[in-house]
Amino acid sequence: MKPPSKKIFFKYCCQATLIIFTGLLSLNLHADPASDKEKFQNFFSKKFSGIDFNEFSNGVYAIDPESRAQWKNIEEFPPYVFAIDEGEKLFKTLFITGRTYADCLPEGGIGIAHSYPRFNIRKNQVVTLAQEINTCRQLNREEPLPWGRGDLALILAYLAFTSRDKEISITIPSSAAEAAYNKGKKLYYSRTGQLNIACAHCHVDNAGKRIRADILSPALGQTSHFPVYRARWGEMGTLHRRFAECSELSRAKAFPLQSEAYRNLEYFLSYMSNGIKANGPGARK
Amino acid sequence: MQQFAILIISLLLFACASTPGKVSDNAEFRSLVEDAEEAIDKAAEVGGEWRDSRLILQNAKNEAQKGNLDKAMQLAEQAKIQGEMGFKQAKEQEKIAAPWLF
Repeated sequence: MKPPSKKIFFKYCCQATLIIFTGLLSLNLHADPASDKEKFQNFFSKKFSGIDFNEFSNGVYAIDPESRAQWKNIEEFPPYVFAIDEGEKLFKTLFITGRTYADCLPEGGIGIAHSYPRFNIRKNQVVTLAQEINTCRQLNREEPLPWGRGDLALILAYLAFTSRDKEISITIPSSAAEAAYNKGKKLYYSRTGQLNIACAHCHVDNAGKRIRADILSPALGQTSHFPVYRARWGEMGTLHRRFAECSELSRAKAFPLQSEAYRNLEYFLSYMSNGIKANGPGARK
Repeated sequence: MQQFAILIISLLLFACASTPGKVSDNAEFRSLVEDAEEAIDKAAEVGGEWRDSRLILQNAKNEAQKGNLDKAMQLAEQAKIQGEMGFKQAKEQEKIAAPWLF
C-alpha cells in the first residue's frame, strides 16, 4: 500500500485541527455555569488582587481610591434615600382590588431581590423582579409601569434595600435555564454596534482602565447595587436602562427593556456575581 | 397686446419646463431608500441594528426634501451600508463570538 502523499496528509491534519478547534469553542460556550463562575471570579480576584471579594459590589469605587473618596462623601447622605421611602409607600399602597404587591410576591417581596432574576420553569423563561411587579399590577387591574425609571425604579429600590447584605444567589435549575444563561453569556461576549465591541471588552479585558474621563468598572458585582441613582440621569434608573445605555454607547440599537436578550444578560451577569453581598440601591456618577 | 400675451405664455411654459422635479421623487433616490430600509430591517431581525442607521436615513430624506440630491444620496448610501454591516456583524458573531475567559 502506498503511503499518503504529503498533500493529503496536510489536508487531513488541517481538517482534524479544525474539528478539534470547533469542538473546543463549542465546549467553551456551553461550559458548566458553576465552573464559569469560578473562573470569572478568580479572574477578577487576580486582576485586582488585594481587593476584598465583597468590595466588587462597589464597582469602580472598589478599585479607584480617588473615585472612592468622592463616593464615600455621597454615601453620607445618598441621593437614593428618598427613593427607598417613596418606594416603600408605593409598595404598600393598595391596588383597586384591595390587594398589594406583597400578596403577589414570594415572602411578601421582602428580602428576595438578591435571588432575582429567576428561571420560571412554567413560563420557560427568565423572570426579573421588575417583571414580577408589573405582572402583579396587571393581575390587580392596574396599568404596568414603565421599565426604565419612575415608580418601578422606586419600588425596586425599596425591595433591593430589604435584601441588603444578603448574598446574591441565582440558581440555574434546568437545562432550559442553562440555555438562557448561555444566551446571556453569548450576548456578553458578542461584538455589537458600529464600534464593534462586546460588553466583555470593556468590563472584563479593560476593567479598571480609563475610557475618556471614566474608569471602566469590573463585570463582577455589577448587578449587585441596582437600581441606581445616577448623577448623569438625575434620578433613579433600572438595570435594563443601564444595559440600553451601554448598548447605545457601542452605537448599537438597544434591545427593548425587559426583552428576552436583556433578561438573559441579567441572568448571566447576576449568576457570575453569586456570593457577593447585595447592596442596592446604589449611587453612581 | 397679442404679442404680449404670447410672451407671457412662453415665459410661463419655460418656467414650468425648467422647474426640477422634487428630489425625493427621484427614482434612483427612492430605490436607494428602499434598499437602505430593507438592509436595516434585515439587521434588526438578527439583533444587529446599529444605533444611528435610521437616523441617518431620516436625514437623507430631509436633505432630499430640501433639494440636496447629492447629500441625500450619500446619506442613504451610508444608512444602507450600516444596515448591511450590522447584519453581517450579527451573523458572524453568531458563529464566532465565544467567551474567552472560560
